[in-house]
Amino acid sequence: MNRKNDNPEKEIEKEELIKAKKLQKVFVVGGGFARSRLLAVDDVSFQVNKNEIFTLAGESGCGKTTVSKILLGFLEPTQGEVYYRGKNVLELQKWEEKKQFMKEVQSIFQNPFETFNPLRKVDCYLHDTAKNFGMNGKKRDKKAVEEALQSVGLGMEEVQGRYPSEFSGGQLQRISIARALITKPSLLVADEPVSMVDASLRMSIVNLFKELRDEHSVSVLYITHDLATAYYVSDRIGIMFRGNIVEMGDVEEVLMNPKHPYTQMLKESIPEADPKKKWTERVSITELETEEYMRKGCKFAGRCPFVEEKCKDFMPEEFFVDGRMVRCWLYEK
Amino acid sequence: MDILKTENLKSYYILEMGETKKEVKAVNNVTINIREDEIYGIAGESGCGKSTFLKTICKLVEPPLRMIGGTIYYQIDGKYVEITETKEEEFRKLRWKYISYIPQGSMNALNPIIRIRESFKDFFTAHQKIENEERDFEEPLRKHLSALGLPVRVLKSYPHQLSGGMRQRTTIALATILKPRIIVADEPTTALDVVAQRAVIQLLKDIQKLQKNTIILVTHDMAVHANITDRIGIMYAGMFVEEARTDDIFENPLHPYTKFLIASLPKMGDKTYKPSVPGVPPSLSNLPPGCPFHPRCPYAMDICKKEIPQLVELNTEHKSACFLNSKERVE
Repeated sequence: MNRKNDNPEKEIEKEELIKAKKLQKVFVVGGGFARSRLLAVDDVSFQVNKNEIFTLAGESGCGKTTVSKILLGFLEPTQGEVYYRGKNVLELQKWEEKKQFMKEVQSIFQNPFETFNPLRKVDCYLHDTAKNFGMNGKKRDKKAVEEALQSVGLGMEEVQGRYPSEFSGGQLQRISIARALITKPSLLVADEPVSMVDASLRMSIVNLFKELRDEHSVSVLYITHDLATAYYVSDRIGIMFRGNIVEMGDVEEVLMNPKHPYTQMLKESIPEADPKKKWTERVSITELETEEYMRKGCKFAGRCPFVEEKCKDFMPEEFFVDGRMVRCWLYEK
Repeated sequence: MDILKTENLKSYYILEMGETKKEVKAVNNVTINIREDEIYGIAGESGCGKSTFLKTICKLVEPPLRMIGGTIYYQIDGKYVEITETKEEEFRKLRWKYISYIPQGSMNALNPIIRIRESFKDFFTAHQKIENEERDFEEPLRKHLSALGLPVRVLKSYPHQLSGGMRQRTTIALATILKPRIIVADEPTTALDVVAQRAVIQLLKDIQKLQKNTIILVTHDMAVHANITDRIGIMYAGMFVEEARTDDIFENPLHPYTKFLIASLPKMGDKTYKPSVPGVPPSLSNLPPGCPFHPRCPYAMDICKKEIPQLVELNTEHKSACFLNSKERVE
């Protein structure tokens, strides 16, 4: 599967599904004199096209979950807009329109054991979703549920009348994907869907996303810290660092030939499951997370090996180099 | 020489709710030898008994967990000592000096309202006499921290002032200050950023090189195993199903479960299809008869459904518990 974007202009030609425009989210931390502002997400713009898996990757605390919450409408951004099929999601007034949006954009969460109420049978969730999103009539509801279960490789008889404790993490995650598929969505927002799933079953979830893209034309916004699965599954990727997307483009290009110093360091620090590729160089961590958030210029300046005076005071703009976006002064033309 | 060995070790969680009694066989008949001066990794999926195994060998067995049978030997000054029978007061002398345990989520174990230095002192006085504060406490502490590359300023900080990676490294420093012969670390790198994770791995490696002791490392992350361990034991449903040198596990896995596990690891620069292990992990309270992997195993034979395969040495330092492999050996 080759989905290369040779230049940024061409990207626009692709049919976009959801688009985030200059999102910003400020959290106020503490109270009284200890009050301070934390820029959790700053100037984040990206889009997910039809029929594609887009990954937002980054370390914990980089703001990727905040972005997903803003897209789903759980959080209101301080600034910026979200467009779904050209419509501004934040300004949807009518309940019908909101419902349509919820129907088409579904989400999957990190911990499948917390997704389900332990005292409710799991099939309740499936039937509820079918009912709430008006699949018209009991018979059609049932069919929709069965189809959704089938597409994740489960059968109704395996699920019916059972409680969450009777399933493994991988199975529960499949059921929560099935639940999301009942409404026939065009976009799945999956926030760390495999981090709580056993290693042996992890790939079954990731493969499922590929299948959904290829056979059911479902786009996926895959949010993860795991670059290896991101490389395996996605078409395009955005690397987040302390609230900004620092590099974004084709996954093959960005991960195999990273341009931003942070992406280079991140790739370098990820252990590879190969005893022949052990690390030889040493690392040291010095700066604290919050100090980095408070930085005025480039957030990575404190650790960057190529740091210049300019980086400390000015936030780099988005530069387009070789068909990808890099937010680093090194690539200013 | 072995530093720790277990024979037919069994520990179960026993849950009694009125009339119903439930047994969760978390460690089921484990016989294993861990050597001096090595990093031994234990891999397996969540709920396979990795953490319970560690608790049992550290004698941290509390109800509902119960040790059902088997023996644990520590090698102390060249002699094997059976520790399942030792009294708690005597065992306390071994704890932290001979064997130290870094539990899961240990970065949150530091007392939040005292400075790190006080935590170190509390801990020190509990295990060693301090006659002269400067000579017996301050100096070895500073030496230990600088040897591990931690800044001395952490001693003056409160835990909330440090990042997760720093806290984790501080607790590791705390656990190793008395130079224990065995360090048992349970998922020390989970919930950390990649860079912090790398620093923790580096720290563990440094400690092992410096103190020439044994580290038993449990993690489900095979990439961490590849990077740090000398030997790996693969656990499945409370049993060790394969054990070999790290290179052999990755290059030439013998047990079908390990084969699937290694084949499913995604790698950078490789987009070929990676299948996942078929089926679902068994419940430890209701194990299938015979080999616990047989319902998921595509090569299952009749014998697999009846008998439990034993861990047998097939090649040098390569053990596997599977009838497929041992049968080949017999013929």
